[in-house]
Formats: sequence, C-alpha cells, structure tokens
Amino acid sequence: MLREERRAAEEAITLIRPATSRLVDPDIRDEFGLETLDMNMGPQHPAMHGLLRLILELDGETIVRCDPVMGYLHRCQEKIAENRTYPAVIPLTDRLDYFANMHNEHGYCLAVEDLLGVEIPPRAEYIRVLMCELMRIASHLPSIGFLLLELGAFTPILYAFRERERIQNFFEAVTGARMMFHYIRIGGVKADLPPDIPEKIWEYVEGLEKRIKPDFIDLIEGNEIFIERTRGISRLTQEEAIELGLTGPPLRCTGVAFDVRRDYPYSVYPELDFEVVTDTAGDVEASYRVRIKEVYESIKIIRQCLEKMPEGEVMGDVGRRVRPPEGEGFGRVEGPRGEFAVHVVSDGSDTPYRVHYRDPSFVNMQLLQEKMPGHYLPDIMPIMGLVDPVSGGWDK
Amino acid sequence: MALEYLEQEPWRFLISSATVIFLVLNIAAVLTLAERKVSAYIQLRYGPNRVGPRGLLQPAADVVKLFIKENVSPGRADRWVFLAAPIAMFLPAAAVWLVIPFGPGMVVADLNIGLVYFFAITSIGALGVIMAGYGSRSNFSLLGALRGAGQMISYEVPLILSLLGVAMLTGSLSMVDIVEYQAGGFWNWIIWPQLPMFLAFFVSGLAEVKRIPFDLPEGESEIVGGFMIEYSGMTWALIQASEFASMAVMSAVASTLFLGGWQPPLPFLDLGVFNWLWLGIKTTLLIFVFQWIRWTLPRLRMDQLMDLGWKILVPVTILWLFVTAGAMLVI
Repeated sequence: MLREERRAAEEAITLIRPATSRLVDPDIRDEFGLETLDMNMGPQHPAMHGLLRLILELDGETIVRCDPVMGYLHRCQEKIAENRTYPAVIPLTDRLDYFANMHNEHGYCLAVEDLLGVEIPPRAEYIRVLMCELMRIASHLPSIGFLLLELGAFTPILYAFRERERIQNFFEAVTGARMMFHYIRIGGVKADLPPDIPEKIWEYVEGLEKRIKPDFIDLIEGNEIFIERTRGISRLTQEEAIELGLTGPPLRCTGVAFDVRRDYPYSVYPELDFEVVTDTAGDVEASYRVRIKEVYESIKIIRQCLEKMPEGEVMGDVGRRVRPPEGEGFGRVEGPRGEFAVHVVSDGSDTPYRVHYRDPSFVNMQLLQEKMPGHYLPDIMPIMGLVDPVSGGWDK
Repeated sequence: MALEYLEQEPWRFLISSATVIFLVLNIAAVLTLAERKVSAYIQLRYGPNRVGPRGLLQPAADVVKLFIKENVSPGRADRWVFLAAPIAMFLPAAAVWLVIPFGPGMVVADLNIGLVYFFAITSIGALGVIMAGYGSRSNFSLLGALRGAGQMISYEVPLILSLLGVAMLTGSLSMVDIVEYQAGGFWNWIIWPQLPMFLAFFVSGLAEVKRIPFDLPEGESEIVGGFMIEYSGMTWALIQASEFASMAVMSAVASTLFLGGWQPPLPFLDLGVFNWLWLGIKTTLLIFVFQWIRWTLPRLRMDQLMDLGWKILVPVTILWLFVTAGAMLVI
C-alpha cells in the first residue's frame, strides 16, 4: 500500500478509536522504516482466560494497541431462553459464568420472582445466601491462583483448587452436581440441606479461615517478585473505573465502595453483618487484596447464615407451571466478578419474551482496551488477573 | 592389561568422552522425572507413579513417545537454522562436563584455562536460542529469542565477574587446581570467603539456564514457550534435554568452584575412587534448589530482570572483587 494511503487508513482507524495511542511517532516510523509488530494472542492461547483473542500491536515489548475480540464461545443464551419455559432457563444460566453458577441462578430467579411477586420462605433465602457465599470463595481463591499462575508461579493454583474442590464437595452433597447445579429455583431452592451439611460447612470454614494466612497471604504478599509484577500495573482512578462501568473487585480496589449486596440489598443480606472491602491503590495488587479480604467477609456471612438459619419450608407457593403476568422483572446480585443483573420481559406466556444478562466479565473487559496500551507484553497477564473475566460470562 | 589401555591417550580420551556423553543424556532423562516428582510434592500431588516402580521408568516412556512423534517444522521456517538450533543448544551443555573433575585424576581434559572454556562454551547457548527463535519465523518465537539474547548476554557479565574472585584466590583457571585448593574440609571451601559471589553466580546461573524466575525467553503465560514454540518431537526433546543438562552443569560448576567439588566435607570421609559421590551429592542438592525455586516463585519482567542484572549483581560482584583483592593484599 502506498504510504499516503496507509497513513489515511490509520488516521481513519484512530478516529474510530480515540482511546488507542501510538507510542511511535508516525513521522519517525516512516522515515526510518520502523514497524510495529502485529500479534494475535488467542483465541487458542494456553494462558488466556477462556477463548479471548487479543489483537496486539507491539513496539518492542510495549503494547501500543490492544483490541479484545470476543464471541468464540457465543451460545445464543439469551435467544435460547426465549424458547424455553421459565424454570427451564435456570440450567442455562449455570452455563454463563461457570465460576459463579449460583449467582447466575440467583440473579435469574430474583428477576422472575420480581415478575411473579412470590413470597420466598426465609430458610430458602438463607440457603441461597449460604450457597452464593460458598461460591464466592470457590471463585475468589482460584482467581488469585490464576493470577499467580499467569505470573509464572504454578503452585498456588493447586492450593486454591484444593479449597474449591472441598467446596464443590459440599455443592455435590447439597445439589447433586459439582458445577451445573440447577439448585436455586423460582420461589425457593430445590431441596433442603442434608442434615449433616451445616455442621460440615461450619468445620470447613473454621479450617479455611486458619489456612488462608499460611497458604495464601504469607506466601503471596511477602514475595518481592509478586509485588514487583503487580504494584502499579493498570493503575485506575475512581473516575476511570466508574466511567468504564466496572463493578466488583476491579471497582472496589480503586476505593469506590459499591456492592450490590449492601447498596441494592436483596435476599437476606440486610439482616447480615458484613463489610464492603475496598482498597485505594487501584492496581492489580489492590485487586488481589480486595479478593482475599472478601473471602474473609464471605466466611463471616456463611457463619451468620448457619447461625441464623430458621427451620421451615424451602419452596414458596409457585405452581409447576410458571406463567408470570405481562411486565418486566429485574434482578441483580453481586457476583464474584461484579454485578450480575438479569432483565426478564414477559408477554404473559410460558416462555420469556426477552431475557437479558448483564455479565460483569463482559463489562469489566472494557478495561483492557483502555489500560493495556503503554504496558509491557508480560503485563497482559496481571491485568487479565485484575479483570478476571470468564469466557462463559462475556460470550453468553 | 586392559586398564593400562585406559591410561594411553586416544583410548583414555575416547572412553572418558563417551562416559561423559552417556552421563549427560542420562542426567537429562533423570532430571525430567526429578522435576516432575519435586513439583508434585511441592504441589500436594503424587506425580508420575504408573510406569515402573514409583514411576522410575517414566523418562523411558517419555523418550519413546517423543521418538514416535512426528517432527513438524513450520512451512515458513528457515529449515536448516530451525533444525540446527536444538543441537547448538545441546552441545554446549554437554561440552562443559569435559573440564569438570569428578575425582582425583578423573577429568576428561585438564585444561589450564578451564574457567575461560566454561565462559566461552556457555555463551554459545545464547546462539542456539537466537537460532531457534529466528529460524521459526513466528512472532512469538521471535520475541522469545530477543528476550533470550538480551537476558543471556546481560547475565554473562555477572556470571564471569562472580567467578573472578575464585580465580584470584586460587591463582589458577584450571578446575582441577581450584578443587585441589579446597582440600581438607568444608571450612576450606571457597564459598565462605566468596559468599556474595556464590549467590551472584547462582542467580546469574538461574538466568543463564532460563529457569523461573528468569524464564522470560519461554514466558509460558504470554509468549507460550517463546523460542521453542514451533518445536515438536525429538527436536523439542533435545531443547528440553539441553535445559536440564545446562541446569545440571550450572550446579556441577557451582559445586566444583564454590563447594569443593569432589572434596569430602570432612577429611575422614574420604572415599578414594568413589569421591565423585561427593560431587554428585552437592550437585543434586543444588539442582533441588533450582527446582524448588522453579515451583515456588513467579516470573520477573524483562525490565526488572535487566535492573537486577546490571544494577545489583554487577555492582555487588565488582565490589566484592575489590574486597577480595584488598583482603589478599592485607593477609
């Protein structure tokens, strides 16, 4: 291509994407014949979170431009939901963010219950919160492990997965499945807890609280290389984080105390005592600290749930056939990665007219395009660890 | 007698070289199993335990599998450079063994410039990395090769500087003389007067053999294997073998120069002909430290790696050279 044509084409691109920047001055580049290196990372990349493709433009090892391309795991979740009855959508939500299945089910059920106006038995509410908080631990610890894994330390992920494995054993005992639960139903939960499970969860949580410090905090926070690699990487200000629409740990690590559980309370969260963890630095290290502290908060919530859980029914008065009146329902929950919201529109029939999921993985991913330029190539991985997207979530 | 033949020159050289090559290949194979076992125990796993008793035959199974695999070279690759690179990486790792004394009189070539030979041969390893990355004609391997070149050339400097103290103390560049100097017990080992140099040598050795936290040329989480991304089958196995062999070489050189080589730690533990066992024990311990670090620490970034090399290791080694020189003048 002729030089002028190429410049024109580049300028046109720059107009579309004002956020991207070029480190090499185009004049210098053309005069000396310097080229930036275009590189594709993914979708088949062993260290990428799921099926994400990053189109990178590199100047040496510095990232000049980063375009995330999604859609490699798109399964038309929202369209399929339009053709299935209301209860039959719940198992599909399990397949969204597969590290936060309980939260997805909870969010969808909240939206449909909003349509129906049904009363949920208190025991079911407590079981829901209990399960969601276990799920949060089972998501936060592996996400810390993945961050370390991508920094090159292979071992922490196995310690994290040991904890996740034990929590999955509880899920298996309670719901019958290890990942795709289909447990939270419209109007309650599928079944009551098995009689010995509350005690076992209590014991496990006691042990976990003791293990976090030696197994995670002491090994990670004291490590000079970890601090070097994560401190100051992708430093976000509060304004930027809000403008980008971030939620969850990436938002809270900048100091914005936004948590759906507290600010838009649902279920029995108003009755529970917990803190919204924030940090001020807004970098990768801060997001790690937020996550590890949230594990402690989740443990606190789990204890309260087990203590306060009343006896009684676990399923509300919802018929076999769910047929909500015409209207719109909305449910939002605080997932491990941020706010998960579901919008359900009903036309009065058996199937939803429209279902929309707002998944935190998808929204938080905007950070990549904004924050990657200017960082080095190896910094991609810590930044992905800050966002911690799950490909089932962003592609739906 | 047959043993007299061993003393005569062509036979002695041929037999001892063959022994060393055999040793290197076997060390590489055993280390693959050791690496997997060590990593498994660090990670609360069992590791390979199916092939043979306690998984001891796993290396054999791996080698058979790799031989059977097809040797793919990318269509765009520079075929000769691509295929020569693993050899260029493996030979230096094997060649250093020629100057390492395994026991009294047990050395293939007692070069009077053994240290210089070691520097020269290890530098060739960088060439192999560049050839592999450049010959593959892939963006990922090109980045890996550039990183590898930068890293290995930068860390040559502290590596060489850290061994100058040894040469100053012993007044010789011959490995045999250096080991003789450390005779008499562990208090005579050079590690004690040269402790900062030993640490600097160990760190730059880590970088030289491209192990975590300095495995940037591989950088498995961003450039997925770097310079070796396009290799498969036996060529890949050769690269792996060269990495393990060079790890063993670094450990053997470190134990020869700083930990007394084959000299027993206490005089009455002298095993005579079997003194090579001491070298084996010291080398194994150092290799374990290499692996322990590998499975514990994250990876550094390129700029931080350069900072560590040029701003910390080089000044520290130069400073300790002056300290050594001053101490030698005074004492």
